[in-house]
Amino acid sequence: MTFQTMLASMSAGMLRSLAIFFLTLIFSLPLGMAVMYLRRSKYKVISGITKIYIAIMRGTPLMLQLLMWYFGPFYLFRWSIRGYRFPAIIIGFSMNYAAYFAEIYRSGYEAIPVGQFEAAEVLGYSRSQTFFKIILPQLVKTILPSITNEIITLVKDTSLAFTLAYNEMFSIAKQIASSQTSFVPFIIAGVFYFVMNYVVAFVMERAEKALAYY
Amino acid sequence: MILEMNNIQKSFKDLKVLRDISIHVDKGEVVSIIGPSGSGKSTLLRCATFLETIDAGEILYMDRAAAKTNEEGKAEYVSHAELQQFKQYFGLVFQQFNLFPHYSVLKNVMDAPVYVLKHSREEAEAQALELLDKMNLKDKAGAYPSQLSGGQQQRVAIARALAMNPDILFFDEPTSALDPELTGEVLKVIRQLADEKMTMVVVTHEMPFARAVSDRVIFMDKGVIVEQGDPEKVFGDPDHERTKQFLRNYQQ
Amino acid sequence: MKKIAALLSVFVLCLAMLSGCVTIETGSQTGGNAGSEVKEEPAYLFLDETLGVESYAIGFRIGDDELAETVSGALKALVLDGTYAKIGASYPDIEEYLCLTADGIDADSLPEKGSGDPDYTFKHGFDLDYPPYSYLQDDGSVGGLDVELCQAVCDYLGWGYEAVPFNWDAKDMELNAGSCDCIWSGFTKEGREDDYTWGITYSNNTQGILVAADSGIKTLEDLSGKVVGVQTATSAYDMLQDARADLAGTFADLKVYETYTIAYNDLKAGAIDAIAIDMTAGTFLISNDQK
Repeated sequence: MTFQTMLASMSAGMLRSLAIFFLTLIFSLPLGMAVMYLRRSKYKVISGITKIYIAIMRGTPLMLQLLMWYFGPFYLFRWSIRGYRFPAIIIGFSMNYAAYFAEIYRSGYEAIPVGQFEAAEVLGYSRSQTFFKIILPQLVKTILPSITNEIITLVKDTSLAFTLAYNEMFSIAKQIASSQTSFVPFIIAGVFYFVMNYVVAFVMERAEKALAYY
Repeated sequence: MILEMNNIQKSFKDLKVLRDISIHVDKGEVVSIIGPSGSGKSTLLRCATFLETIDAGEILYMDRAAAKTNEEGKAEYVSHAELQQFKQYFGLVFQQFNLFPHYSVLKNVMDAPVYVLKHSREEAEAQALELLDKMNLKDKAGAYPSQLSGGQQQRVAIARALAMNPDILFFDEPTSALDPELTGEVLKVIRQLADEKMTMVVVTHEMPFARAVSDRVIFMDKGVIVEQGDPEKVFGDPDHERTKQFLRNYQQ
Repeated sequence: MKKIAALLSVFVLCLAMLSGCVTIETGSQTGGNAGSEVKEEPAYLFLDETLGVESYAIGFRIGDDELAETVSGALKALVLDGTYAKIGASYPDIEEYLCLTADGIDADSLPEKGSGDPDYTFKHGFDLDYPPYSYLQDDGSVGGLDVELCQAVCDYLGWGYEAVPFNWDAKDMELNAGSCDCIWSGFTKEGREDDYTWGITYSNNTQGILVAADSGIKTLEDLSGKVVGVQTATSAYDMLQDARADLAGTFADLKVYETYTIAYNDLKAGAIDAIAIDMTAGTFLISNDQK
């Protein structure tokens, strides 16, 4: 098998890895904010359950979670899971990363001086104005480095989708490596992850710089 | 009557912070509240500005009730939407300034007028620049709060509060977080506002300032008003032993 | 309103956690007629048509001819003394595929019992997730046909035995780095003839198609337009990529799994229609499921 053929068969997998990556970010970043608010709810039941949820999502391997999201509906309710593979992967990744993001948001949220909320409240800002205009911009600035770490982990975690027979890039690399008794696919995989994470780090660094004006 | 607070009670857990406090502030009046720390004076301001909810009593602005005691003896507030309207009656200047660090000085002052009062951007900007000029900060309009001294930040905070055109302005120990050499510039601004007949309630430890600028001084201790009246009377010849003791401690 | 929204979202979280309590069952009964007196039809079966036959042998590093010779010789000796058949008998699912017989084995050319260096430890490299050749047994110990055979070989020669379970993807690196001395784990020789020094072929296997009995799929032709699952880096996978690529072309989709366990769960859940798998591993999956 030539290098070009390897690259060509792996590139389809790269697109799949990217799909997981972007969809997970699109869903989990806002979802994490919702989870954080539930976690901070003044109703003990709600915050307690959310706490358990976060503990489970962070305390068990993502691979197991993917299995449960996919097979759960079948074993629990005998629902058909035909065609549910990709949604299950995205749900599994998003719910897992939302838990991590929620805790990052919470740390950032709690680092914002209470005076910021009070100043906004006295000036008469509505709750959503307070959140979007006052809190969120400051929150983003403090949590950006932690978020960068998490996103880089996500890039590498995409290979876990193979647990549910989703042929992302790394599984293809393994298949080619095995059938060709070759190390080259792993090198290509390594370069792919490295470039991805380099781009992530670059973009996030730019974002951090852009927010460093105050 | 701009502000009326009657029979206010407030506890944190088992600790009674305000025990049946009543105050009223007339238009154009400057009222100073003094007292030892833990006397409840800051809590009173926070209750007046709805940052804390009272347990019992009533709060009225412009003779409209924002909260009053129901049959069960518990304070009952008007709806959230109505409370938002009440907030336009007052402004609050914090001890820690609490400027928005990600906004420039100009945006700090003009943002709420634009987004809360729905003023036009041009109008709000013109007003903000005028206020900054009055605070002697016009050249700092483009700066960020972190680039300013404490005194400058507090003056921006005052401009931010004034930009909402409040009927009454509260100050919660406005100079306590400042280095001694910076208090003067902030007190000067407050004095200037007093000369313009701005209605103000100032919680402060600056006794000479309170004496000079106030129309009325309230001395609070342990959650009650011990005595109040003309500043010359309270500072010069107080009726109560606790007041005397407090002022004595202060002069040392 | 906000409270309702919060409660609702918490309910969703609960559901998420509830589904977390579901273990992926491999031991549950399937089929709707459980408990009846009627003799049950097997829920899953192999098609009569197969994909092809392959041979399982022991892979050594290129150049380790002497070691390959010794191990192969010892295994032949175990055939002669009946140990090979005895071990095979404890794996009824694959017993029929064991291909070594006493015929043609020259007893004189074999290594003597106990002739090995007693200080030498033979490092057996294998995939821990490849039942029934090498897998984690019910009691948690490492076992399987290949593990038992290798242990018997070491016992015969007087060597020490060391189990080296590895990640199948890293098998070549493990072998070449010397962390193990052989790959002996249902290891297919076909297609890899030149990549290793091969020891003796001790078992055959047939690649077949596993389907649900009530699926209506009877022949390979019926697989046209169906979704078929296969485990990555297996002979079945290799066959569908090369020798039987024509057949794979008729499938609606070929799903490649990390392990057959997940593929089997997908088959049970109806998410795929068939599994391409070798007969021994497939039989093991079914019989284990019905335990």
